[in-house]
Amino acid sequence: MAIDRETFWAQTMAEVMSRPPKPEVDELPIRSTEFSDGFGVKLTSLGDYRLFAYYSVPHGTGPFPAIYHAPGYASVVQVPPYYERRRHACLSLCARGQRLSDRPYAAAFPGLLTDRVDDPRAYPFRGIVADACRGVDFLKLRPEVDHTRIVVVGADMALFVAALRPEVRAAVVADPFFPWLGEVAPTTSAYPYEEVNDYLRAHPDRASAVRATLDLFDPSGLADRIRADVLITYPPGNGPWNEARAKQLAELIGSKASLYARTGRGYLDRRHVEEWIAAHGGDAIE
Amino acid sequence: MAAPARDPATYGTTVTRPPDFDQFWADTLADAAETPVNPRFELDPLRSTDDVEVYDARWDSFQGVTVAGWYCRPRRARGRLPALIHVPGYVSEPLVPKASARDGYCALSVAPRGKLRSNAQFNPGYPGLLTHNIVDRNTYGYRGFYVDALRAVDVVLAREEVDRTRIGVTGSSQGGALTIVVSAMRREITAAAAGAPYLCGMMDAIRLTHSYPYQEINDYLRLHPDREEQVRQTLAYFDGINFAPTIRCPILVNIGLRDDVCPPETGYAVFAAMTCEKRLCAYEDCAHDAGSTWHARIAAEFLAEHLRPGEVA
Repeated sequence: MAIDRETFWAQTMAEVMSRPPKPEVDELPIRSTEFSDGFGVKLTSLGDYRLFAYYSVPHGTGPFPAIYHAPGYASVVQVPPYYERRRHACLSLCARGQRLSDRPYAAAFPGLLTDRVDDPRAYPFRGIVADACRGVDFLKLRPEVDHTRIVVVGADMALFVAALRPEVRAAVVADPFFPWLGEVAPTTSAYPYEEVNDYLRAHPDRASAVRATLDLFDPSGLADRIRADVLITYPPGNGPWNEARAKQLAELIGSKASLYARTGRGYLDRRHVEEWIAAHGGDAIE
Repeated sequence: MAAPARDPATYGTTVTRPPDFDQFWADTLADAAETPVNPRFELDPLRSTDDVEVYDARWDSFQGVTVAGWYCRPRRARGRLPALIHVPGYVSEPLVPKASARDGYCALSVAPRGKLRSNAQFNPGYPGLLTHNIVDRNTYGYRGFYVDALRAVDVVLAREEVDRTRIGVTGSSQGGALTIVVSAMRREITAAAAGAPYLCGMMDAIRLTHSYPYQEINDYLRLHPDREEQVRQTLAYFDGINFAPTIRCPILVNIGLRDDVCPPETGYAVFAAMTCEKRLCAYEDCAHDAGSTWHARIAAEFLAEHLRPGEVA
């Protein structure tokens, strides 16, 4: 039986909140610096899945603003960037399926996007969205974090976190692919969109079920919940994530959203994002 | 992060070529030869389309490790086709190179040991690979990793639809480094395009940047400062600058002049070490993207000029 978006996510969030994160925070000396301490974190998420995250805390007296790198669509999750760690508590979380959180579920790339996509409750992204939210739940437990200055950075999972964790102060969103995925995929052969095309070519009889799942997992449908300031960036050109889509998403979020057209010159684009973070709850990154 | 003012073109390098560099790699290839390449291709109906056949490719490599790749070829093409080998970045998973097949190539995308699908026998992790046994050149993680990429040439040569005189290799970041290594070590390569090359001037790079992956070495040396000389000695056998003079094919290199991941100083240094036909595109205010917004077309035209992709119906 079909389920509506609000009920689906309310049930999912209730389920994840029924379990405390129970974090273990262990020193990780090799990822420490002269100005910050590195930690490896384990915490519990939906379905009693134990996750790993990198966590870094500046030396000195907090509380510190936090930068949370929400999980992206890749196997590897990187250690938080060196310069961010100087003045921010930094968290990089490995969602289920990604390396270091890949027991018992190891995701395939390509493959994750359409794994059990015809069943929204079994679809791994239900857990992955919950995992992403657990990152904020963890930061809120930490006394060294200023809970009013949590900035989330990422793609689709940053959008979900902004929608489902209203305590987030700001979000930087680059190149999400879940918004309007069912509509956009047939217009491109670029991965990861092409995963949907591959799947539907192999299983045309499942098209309506896939469409229903992707609709539930379209974060644009949750955009009106977002209270954080959101910077939406998009690349030059007319790829699947482009100016028109970014504007469409910004309109759904409303006045809290702003747009940035990336120049293709990564240094300039990174500077813009860093300055935006500093002006929206974060601190200088240098 | 504000980049310091400096002239990357004149920085130079501290990398030196060990006297037994060639012997080390001759010995490595001789050891690897004990394991036949044994290329296998299994059609993947899920990823194949009306115009492109996609294969799950597997082959054996150094110390018996099985590695994977994606092999794509156009379904409808006339005559033999050039091959284009795609080598991956450090953290990314290899792409399924359907686009290259549509452009008229037989394309192989390589997943060296440690990447997904190639990590059953060797899995140092990320971070991890760059410092895996870094004090010992004989067991350093990149020794087998490089061989895995070198053997990709044997894999495409095993395909009867491939023209043996037109083999290209391309990649960016770690893929740029592997492009340099494969071009240097395999005479069959007829053209190469290397973006933002990593693993070049490594001991210089760790002083120029704190970005990962190079930061892995800084992290390691902060805990083990007494091992710096051992690290330097090992890395010299794997540094792209020491492979570069051996390249004989035309090569295109692009770098970002504000790249904090692979500092442009190291890109200039490896380019200077090349003695083949070469061209450098350096992009102002570009970081690790290395100007890909503009350079993708230039690289495609360069490869097409030298490899002459087939006509695809």
